[in-house]
Amino acid sequence: MKTITVTINGSAYEETVPERMLLVDFIRDTAGLTGTHVGCTYEGVCGACTIHLDGEAVKSCMMLAVQADGHAVTTVEGLSTGDLTPLQRAFNEHHGLQCGYCTPGILMNMTEFLEKNPNPTDAEIRRGLIGNLCRCTGYARIVKAVREAAKIGN
Amino acid sequence: MFPAKIDDYVRPKTVAEALEAIARYGDDEAMFVAGGQSLMQAVKSRMVRPSCLVDLQSIAELRGIDLGQGLTIGAMTRYVEIAECETLPRAYAALNDAAQHVGDRQVRNRGTIGGSICWNFVASCMPAVVLGLNGTVVLASSKGSTREVVAEDFILGPFETAREKDEILLSISWPAPPAHCGSAYKKWGLVADAVPVIGVCVSVTLAAGDTCESARVALSGLADGAQLAPAGAVALVGTDGSDKAIAEAMAAVADSVETHSDHWADGEYRRQLIRGIGTEAAHCAFQRAR
Repeated sequence: MKTITVTINGSAYEETVPERMLLVDFIRDTAGLTGTHVGCTYEGVCGACTIHLDGEAVKSCMMLAVQADGHAVTTVEGLSTGDLTPLQRAFNEHHGLQCGYCTPGILMNMTEFLEKNPNPTDAEIRRGLIGNLCRCTGYARIVKAVREAAKIGN
Repeated sequence: MFPAKIDDYVRPKTVAEALEAIARYGDDEAMFVAGGQSLMQAVKSRMVRPSCLVDLQSIAELRGIDLGQGLTIGAMTRYVEIAECETLPRAYAALNDAAQHVGDRQVRNRGTIGGSICWNFVASCMPAVVLGLNGTVVLASSKGSTREVVAEDFILGPFETAREKDEILLSISWPAPPAHCGSAYKKWGLVADAVPVIGVCVSVTLAAGDTCESARVALSGLADGAQLAPAGAVALVGTDGSDKAIAEAMAAVADSVETHSDHWADGEYRRQLIRGIGTEAAHCAFQRAR
């Protein structure tokens, strides 16, 4: 067991955890923040567990919780403190989701994507989405939502 | 997909501390974790069961791209940093090509070049690129020595390298390139940016009159893992990189290697991919060299 401190959405969580605990389980089960999803039973292919680690999109099932000791994590719950972000609003307005299971991971990935590429082409958006699987939408509305969020400036 | 019990986790701040930690646990017990984008898959599926993970994330000396003398890339340099590096010489642009198309954004934000070549997965891009570009790896041992190994002596079979258990990869380095040298890496996979069914790395150096004076061709996606294709180098040297010369060279490459059949592609299709993707990579390498 190791005692670690992980800052999630601005709050410090100091916990003693087994070394083998995955970061996604720390976020969901220990911190109780269930907006971060597990889609592919931890295989690292679906992207539903994408979070920000020190501001960068990473898959939280591909890390141990102990590896995040001393780092800052942002989850979907931490994206906005009051009003939805432009990207979240665009997903709402342009129907960028159906069942919504993949949405938290996509929002986290695309939030960082838009920070780095404020004016992306559709092709760049689609390439940016490679690490996130959506089985409902066929991606067209997701791409549209990201494009519209870029227009108004996420 | 959940890890077996892990007894300890340490996060050294220096290479010396990392080597001390790995030596303390002895063979097979402890493993280094770099970006973890391959290793964590293996840990979760219990293909490997390390008792201790030595996490290299806090070792600053293993990070970064240094263009001071030739090119040196620290082992813990992430794909995203290589993908976005706009100052790599054209001789080594295949590193940009490969890093930009590894996995997905999330993987590139954590995965490292050193982790990739030490893991040496049967179908991955970086081992083939390091082979194709004739990189030299620098290894430090817990016994206190440091050694340099050229890529072809380091990249052995799938999941096999010349790194000993008590050695840590420090960096991969290249000399300052000659004037007219260019490289490129192209791959084809079942979905965009997937692991390569076939990937081809081509590096060429041109003499006066744009004649190719030296060349290297390396392949990914074969059953024996990343490997050089000497037949391609032989066929390209002395040519001017014309369509015909490149097509003949890539046909020679395709004929010179054993291509296996699996659920992704049969052997003949892999040969066709070598010809097709290899031709694209070679044209791009010649263009960058000119």
